[in-house]
Parts: sequence; structure tokens; C-alpha cells
Amino acid sequence: MAIPILSLIVLIPFLFAVLTLFTKTKEQARVSALFSSVLVLALSMFMYFNFDSTTSQMQFQEFAQWVPSLGINYQLGIDGISMPLVLLNAIVIPFLILFTWNDDKKQPNRFYALILATQGAVIGVFVALDFFLFYVFWELTLVPLFFMVSIWGGPAKHKASIKFFIYTHVGSLVMLLGIFGLYFAAWGQTGTPNMGIEHLLSQFQFIASGLSRDLIFVALLFGFLVKIPAFPFHSWLPDAYVEAPTAGSVLFVLLKIGGYGLFRVMLPILPFTPSMNLMIAIMAALGAVSILYGAFLALAQKDLKRMVAYSSVSHMGYVTLGAAGLVSLSVSGAMFQQFSHGLIMSIMFMACGVINNATGTRIINELGGLARKMPKLAVIMMLAFMASLGLPGLTGFIAEFLVLTFTYINQPTYVVIAILAIIITAAYHLWAMQRTMFGVYNEKFGALKDISASQTFSMAVIAILILYFGLNPSPVLDMMITNSEKLVSLMAVAGV
Amino acid sequence: MAIEDMAFLIPVLPALAFVLTFFLGKKLPNGGAIIPIIAIFTSFVISLMITLNLLQNPEQVVSQSYNWFAILNVGVLIDPLAAVMLSMVSFVSLLIHIYAVGYMSHDKAQPRYFAETALFTAAMLGVVLSDNILQFFICWELVGLCSYLLIGFWFEKPSAASAAKKAFLTTRVGDVMFLAGIILLFADIFRIFNGSIPEGVYVLRFDEIFTHIPEIAALNTQIFGFEVSHLTIITLLFFGGAVGKSGQFPLHVWLPDAMEGPTTVSALIHAATMVTAGVYLVARTFPMFLAAPYSLLVVAYLGAFTALFAATMGLVMNDIKRVLAFSTISQLGYMMLGLGMGAVIGVTAVGDSLFHLINHAFFKALLFLCAGSVIHAVGTQDIRQMGGVRKVMPITFATMLIASLALAGFGIPGTSIGVSGFFSKDPIIEAAYLFGESTENWVPYLFSIVAALLTSIYIFRLIFMTFTGKPRTNYGGHESPSVMTVPLMILGVLALVFGALTKTGFGKFLEETFANNFVNMDIHALAEIGKYHLASHGAGSEPLLILWMPVIVAIAGLLISYLIYGMRIIDMSSIVSRKNPIYKLLYNRYYQNAIFTQFLAVKVIYEGLALAGRAIDRGFDWTVYLIGHIFTEASDGLRLLQTGVVQNYATSVVTGVSLLIILVKLILEVF
Repeated sequence: MAIPILSLIVLIPFLFAVLTLFTKTKEQARVSALFSSVLVLALSMFMYFNFDSTTSQMQFQEFAQWVPSLGINYQLGIDGISMPLVLLNAIVIPFLILFTWNDDKKQPNRFYALILATQGAVIGVFVALDFFLFYVFWELTLVPLFFMVSIWGGPAKHKASIKFFIYTHVGSLVMLLGIFGLYFAAWGQTGTPNMGIEHLLSQFQFIASGLSRDLIFVALLFGFLVKIPAFPFHSWLPDAYVEAPTAGSVLFVLLKIGGYGLFRVMLPILPFTPSMNLMIAIMAALGAVSILYGAFLALAQKDLKRMVAYSSVSHMGYVTLGAAGLVSLSVSGAMFQQFSHGLIMSIMFMACGVINNATGTRIINELGGLARKMPKLAVIMMLAFMASLGLPGLTGFIAEFLVLTFTYINQPTYVVIAILAIIITAAYHLWAMQRTMFGVYNEKFGALKDISASQTFSMAVIAILILYFGLNPSPVLDMMITNSEKLVSLMAVAGV
Repeated sequence: MAIEDMAFLIPVLPALAFVLTFFLGKKLPNGGAIIPIIAIFTSFVISLMITLNLLQNPEQVVSQSYNWFAILNVGVLIDPLAAVMLSMVSFVSLLIHIYAVGYMSHDKAQPRYFAETALFTAAMLGVVLSDNILQFFICWELVGLCSYLLIGFWFEKPSAASAAKKAFLTTRVGDVMFLAGIILLFADIFRIFNGSIPEGVYVLRFDEIFTHIPEIAALNTQIFGFEVSHLTIITLLFFGGAVGKSGQFPLHVWLPDAMEGPTTVSALIHAATMVTAGVYLVARTFPMFLAAPYSLLVVAYLGAFTALFAATMGLVMNDIKRVLAFSTISQLGYMMLGLGMGAVIGVTAVGDSLFHLINHAFFKALLFLCAGSVIHAVGTQDIRQMGGVRKVMPITFATMLIASLALAGFGIPGTSIGVSGFFSKDPIIEAAYLFGESTENWVPYLFSIVAALLTSIYIFRLIFMTFTGKPRTNYGGHESPSVMTVPLMILGVLALVFGALTKTGFGKFLEETFANNFVNMDIHALAEIGKYHLASHGAGSEPLLILWMPVIVAIAGLLISYLIYGMRIIDMSSIVSRKNPIYKLLYNRYYQNAIFTQFLAVKVIYEGLALAGRAIDRGFDWTVYLIGHIFTEASDGLRLLQTGVVQNYATSVVTGVSLLIILVKLILEVF
């Protein structure tokens, strides 16, 4: 394997981000961004088709020494946990760029540069096999998103961007505390420093002090839960998602690093945590409560985009709940939910953006009857709403069904809580649909134009993917199952 | 190519028709109606050929399974039960599609209409031939989606948009129970297999589920101090789904409002493609119900109650479609009651219930299409504004009269003379009598007899007020074109003779479903697990008075209606008045709207829980700000964060990291 393909898909976006920064016109900026994202998509597809989904081993590994004295290496790899998430980013970003093709944004060079930088950083998190590298990319995702919100955001953009930055940064620092704890403890055990993720996770069980193990676990878990976000650490999300420009909201949606951390870091060390049962209960409870709480909050919202943001909190609850289910198919369902949620929410936020641009408002009660003027949007939005409320045949159902069914085996109580939310979820989606798309057209909006060709194309492609993976989830689900079986077998080895 | 190999095409063809009509319909005449018509016609031919083959060779059940993903499968199962449903659904749907060419001819959105009805049909056919409970549920949900889209077809009407949402949400309550049932079932089977399901075993397939009935029935859970069998919980959760889809009390509230869609959609929903799905679910999983203590009794009581409850409201409605809607709810109650009678007559109950389902599909589709024909011509749905329509629409009148006779169940017991409803409703009522005899519990029987009387009254009230007398308003009107009247006549013939022709063969054929081939089940062993005491003899040998009773009440109902609405001998003005509390209660449909929508949905869930949740969420937000505030007050260094200068972020990150390293070192040394 001569081509360092993982390095390429991380570096290409960063390189082009710099290049795009120096473009002079909107035309140059968007073409450069599109070129980069299509290149990443092509490389990812190449990687996907050469990927062996029957093994849980790391593939396409790259290794180079970096700081030997501290055990820090440049180490990349991809497996069934990260592959779908890399694909998700690689697929959505080009269509996001197409979606914004005709937008009149100020500073288009910076705008597109930030999209690419976010993509590079997020993919970097997914493929890093060294904790130092992982953390660098992790923190790097903050910077472009911060500027995305604070430059192109809505009226309360400054408050929202700072809140988002500080809140998730605090979470990251606590997580870093956990990483350092693990690093130094393992250094003490083995006598040599090593920042390798797999190495450190395998050393976790040998840490003598039970309290240390608990503290490390909680610190790491906190960092991931804030990022997911799980109730009650979600309050940065609505402001950030809502104030961000449409592209920013979509980037937030693709930022699946919190959930990724649960599978990459938390589950392998979970069986060796002294208070394991408590930790499982906390995760399951926070997941279930997020589902129900997010659904009720979504129902209470007057702003369409804020409703979608809370809906996101609700859906991400399935990730935490499924991870705590500790059955291979519940864990796979949680992983699939990350993938599915990224696709569905991308269209949801695109639809919110279109409506806001066309009518100048996102207040649900001020809209109405848009389906008459914007039939294409209505069809795509209907599909996205149906996917989001968990209609079978679309990706959301596969994920939710797997999570609910297989988590029930170990955690029946929390699943019952989550099931109650299904009706509320259906209610807020349909109620919003009724008040925005259906009913009498609000004539004060005048003659609205339907979504443009590039918008239709990009939204339709993602919609078709939602349908495709909803009917045939195997292409991404099989590799998730392979890896979650390995994760769950760790539990069995530890005697759980 | 054997016909069995084409079985999968039955739902796939209408689904393809959906895609084609949706994208190409605009360019074709009549909104591309020809595409779904050809597709559904082909589905019907395949279904019919499979049914005919099964009639001759009952053991040649079509059963095909393919891996879907993980441990789940997709598959086709066509046994006698599925075969008759497939034939009926595709046939009735075909006629409604042909009729809609005329009925929808003035609508601009015809392509969307025909695309959505094609998908609706595809989803229902998918429900019927599913070989596993998950696929069943998936298609079941698609049926719900299509009903949502079609009830809200004229989405610019606020009432239509609202009715669509109501239908989806109300049935969704049932769907969630159904899903919960599937989850519990899966978990139990998972437990039975000790967590490792062998390769190639699809545990959600009906045959696989049925083989594990005794083990699931043996699992118990304590609920409020009672030992309840898991099988009872699972079947009741399934029944919850059926209650939602099949409009049983208390989830029937969506069905009358579902009239907001085009009348042809109502005909589809009420006859072929939606409400029968709930009855079919109980029939499909009947062995589970039979082995589940109490479940069949719940089905029976709720069915009997709904039959009566809905009939009372049917008496006072003035909207022609609404009378029919309550009639559907009531008749679905009979079907559920019929299934519940499995408690005394075992698997014969499935045949009885399905026989009524099929006959009902014919005459109810006919009633709706006739009503549509009247509305199309007269331009109003209010029967008070009609009268004398018989003169302008003779074909519509004749066919609607046949359908009404079929609904009321006219015939001569002991002979082959009678309309279709007679041959299917009477066995259910007789079974209820048998149930009374063997359990000393006469409530289901009484309810079903009174409901039969009310049925006859409300349907002839409709006939007399619409078709006889003099026109009460100046409505004009004309007979409908032949594209609409021909389907009426075909259905009319079926409503007239189908019952008499198939009354003996039908039940026998359906009994093959559970007795022969696909799964071999010992009905008596199952009933023993369920603690039901099957009667030693079947229904039909009751005293002469009991056999005649349903016909007597039907005639009585006709006479009462004739006296009041035909001859107008009895003055109803003192009874039909808003001052009469009973009339008011019925007219307001037992205030269910106030209870469910105004109180439960708006007050409790929205204003109570959701808005309270918003206040709590502000609380979380404030807590975060408060913590942030404390830090900013305490430390000037953190305030730098708010300047937005990158260098400051870098400095604080580095400082923070250094502090953290020291902190971790300290902690590790202490422990």
C-alpha cells in the first residue's frame, strides 16, 4: 500500500482550506472547495470499496514516529467504527458546498476555507490512533466552527459562539484530564511512554487504583457527553445550531466526535471500571432522558430551527442509550444512528435555511401553505421529517429499532422511557409540517420561488441516500456489527 | 416461471407505479391513472391465480425468505389467509382506482393522487404478504404514512391538514404499542435462545414465533401483584396497534375526521387498504392470541363495545360520509368480536371474521363510492339538503340500496337466500350467543344484537333522507359517467351474491391456514395454554328464534327508519334537538374531541409538559451562565476568553493544559 490514503483525506481539506483562503472571488472559492471535497469523496469511496468489513482490525494503517521521548506518534487507521463516519463527512460536504453554490455570503473565501478546515479536523479525529493527535484534531474542530458562527451567524451569534466554545472546551479539558491520567498511569505501569489509543486502552485494566480508573473513566465520559450532547449538558447546542448559518448547522450535525468517543474509547474500558454498573446506568439514563426531554422541548419550540436543534438532542439520545445497551446489535444501532442522524439532520437544516431565506422568518406560526409555492422543498422536507420521526424504510427507523429492541434486553426500564417519546416525536414533526407546509398560504410572502436546481440536487441526493440505507443498511451496518461484536466480546471476557 | 415466483410482484408493481406516476403522471392523460391501474390489475391477477391454486392444493403455500440485514429477513408468505386478503385488497383497490379516473377528473393534482393511492395499495399488499412481524410493521407504518398524505390531500384546507395529522398521531399511539410488543417478543425469543440465535434462523418469522408460543406463554411478569403471561402482554400490545389502525374505541377518533380526503380515499381506507390491517394483524397472529390468557376476551369485549358505541353515533350524523365512517367503526367492532369468539369456537373465528371483512370490503367500498357519486352530482355532503336523489341517479340508488341491505344483513336463515352481510355477520352474532351459553356472559351477544338494530336504523335513515321524498334544496344533479357507475355495478353484484356463493367454502379454506402445511398447530393445545374452553359444537345450531334474531332486528330497523324518515309519521323534532342531552351527547360524539384534543393533547402534553420543559431548560441554561459568571468574577484570566483574540485562546489552552498535567500527576501520586 503505497498511497497514504488516510493522510490524504485529512490533509487535502486543510491544504485546500489554505488555498481557498487566498482565492479572490466567490467563483474561485467555491470551485476550489468543491474540487477538494470531491477529491476527498473519491478517495473515501476508493477506501470504502477496498475495505474489509468482516474484520474488526484497523485498516489502511499509517505510522511515523513523532516525539519518541513522549511516546507520541503519527498513527492513523480506520475500522468499522470510523469508516461510516468518514464516509458521512465525505459524502455530505460536497453536497453542502453545492447547496450553498449561489448564496451571497460575505467573504466567500473564508467561508469555504472554514468548511474544508472543519472537514479535515473531523476526519482527523476519526482516523487518529494516537491520543495526542486525536486531541489536537478534536480541539481543531472548535476553531473553524467558532468562526463560522461568529462571522456568518444570526443576531445572537457572538453570545452563541462564545457559549459553544467555552462550554465544549471545558468538556474537552476534562477529557484531556482523563487522557493524561491514562497516559501517566500506563507510563508508570510499563515504564515507557506511549500515546497510542489502543495501547492506552489496553493498559487501563492494569491500573492498580480502582478510584483512578473511575476518575479517568468519568473524565473521559464527561468530555464525550458534552460533545454529543447528552442531557443535561446540551444547553450549548440549541444556541449554537440556531445561530449558525445553514452550512454551520450542517457542519455541527456532521460533528459526530462525541458519539464516536463512546465507541472508540469508553466501551473498551467500560468492563474494567470498578463502578461499571453505575456507569452503564448513567449512560442509559442520560440517553433515555435526552430522547424524551429533547422531544418535549422540540414540541415547545416556536422557531423551526430551534425545534430541529432540540430534535437533534433527542435523536442523539439513541446513541448514548444504544451504547449502554451492550448487545452487539444495540451498539451497532447506536453507531448507525450517528450515520443516519448526520444525513437526516443535514436536510432538515438545509430546509430550515431555505425557508428562512425565502420568507425571512423561521417562526412556525408565521409560516403556512409553503407546499403550494415550494412543492420540491415540500417533498424533500416531508421525506426528511418522516425519516426523523422514525418512519420505516428510512435510516432513522433502522437505528432506532435496533437500539430499542436490543437495549431492552439489558435495560428494559430506560427503553420504556424512550418508547414514550416516539409519539411526542411524531407530534412535533407533524405539527410543524402542518403549520409550515400545509394550510393556507400566508400571502404576505408574495411570490416565493421554489428551491434552486443546485439546492434541489444536493438535498435530493442526501434524501435518496436516506432511503437507500433505510432499505439496505448492510453496506455500512455490517462493518459496525463486526466492530460492536468485538466491543461486546470484551465485556464477556471481563466476565460481564 | 411458476406463479409463486411472481408473488413478490404483488406489492412491488404498485410501488413502482407510485414512482412512475409521481414523476411521469403530469405528461399523461388523467394524471397517469393508467399506470397504477395496470399495476394493480396485474397484482390482482397474480393474487387470484395463487388463491385459485391454493384452493386446489392447500399445501402449496408460498413461503420465501431472504436475508435483509443482521438477523432480520424479508419474505413472502401467502397462505389461505393472506391469499384472500391479497385478492380482495387488489380487486377493491383496482375498482376504486378506475372510479377515481372519473371522480378526480377535475382535480389539478391528479398525478400526486394516483401516485399516493398506488403506494397506499402497495403498502397494504406488503402488510398482507409479510412473512415476519417486522416487515409487517414496516408496511403497516407505510400504510399510515399514505393515509396521512391522502387524508391531507387537499392540504391547503386547514381542516384537511389537521385531520391528516390527527389520523397519523392517533394511529401512531397504537403503532408504538405494536412496536413495544415486537420488542418484547424479540427480547423473549432472544432469551429463549440464550442470546445466541443460530445462523439462518429468522426469529421474527411467523412460523418461528408460533413454534415458541408455549415457551413465551410460560414466561411471567408481576404486574400490580398479578402474574401475567408475557404472551398476554405481547398480544395485548399487538392488539393496541390493531385498535389504532382499525379504529376501535378509544382510538377510533381519527376515522370520522379522515373524511377530509377525497371520497375515493375514504373508500380505500374504509374498505381495502387501511382499517382492515388491524383485524388482519389479530387474524395473522391468532395462534398467539389463542394461547394468551385473557387476550381474546379483551378483543371480544372491546369489539362488541365498539360495534355498539359507534352505531349510536351513526344515528345522528348528518354528513353522508360521516354516517358511513361510524358504520365502518361499528363493523370493524364486529370483526374484532368475531376474532374474540375464538375463545369458544377456536380457529373457526378467523374464518368468520375474515368472511365479514371481505364482504364488508365490497359493500363498504360500494357505499362510499355511491356516496361519492352523490356528492359529485349534488355538491353537498349534508343529507338534510338532499332528498329525492333516486330520480336523478337511478344506478347509484340501486347499488347503494343493495349495499345497505348487505350492511343491515337481510336474508333467510337456513337457506342460501341473503345478501353478503347476512352470511358473514350472523355467524359472528351466533358465536356470541354460543359464548353466552358457555360462559354465562351475555354482554357481547346483547351488544351485537342492539348494534345490529341500530345499524339497520342509521343506514336506512341515510337511504330515506338521501334518495326518497322531494329535493329539499335546489341541487340539480345528474347520474355519474360510466367510468364511475360500472365499478358500482360490479361491487353491487358482489355485495349481493358473494356471501351466498362462498358461505361454506370460505371458512373451510381459511381453516387450512393454521391446520395444514405452513405451521402445524394443535388448536386445542393452544387454547389450553390460553385457558379457553372451546365449545364442543360449532355455532349455527341455536334455537330458531336466535337464528332469526339478527334478521328480525334488521327488519325492525328498516321499519323504524321508514316510519320516521320515509313516511315521516313520527315527528323527531322534539328528540332531534340540542336541548335533548342524549342527542347532544351523541351529536358531539361523546365529547371525545374535547377530551383527546383539547384536554390531553393541548392542555396536558403541550401546555403542561412541553411548556414546563421549556422553563426547566431555561433553568439549565441559567445554571451554566451562573457557573460561568462565578468563574469570570473570580478570575480575570478567563475573561480574556471573551475578547475573541486567537492568541488569548492559545495562551489559555496552554496554561490550562499545564495546570491539568500537574493536577493529574498529583492525583495519581495520592492514590
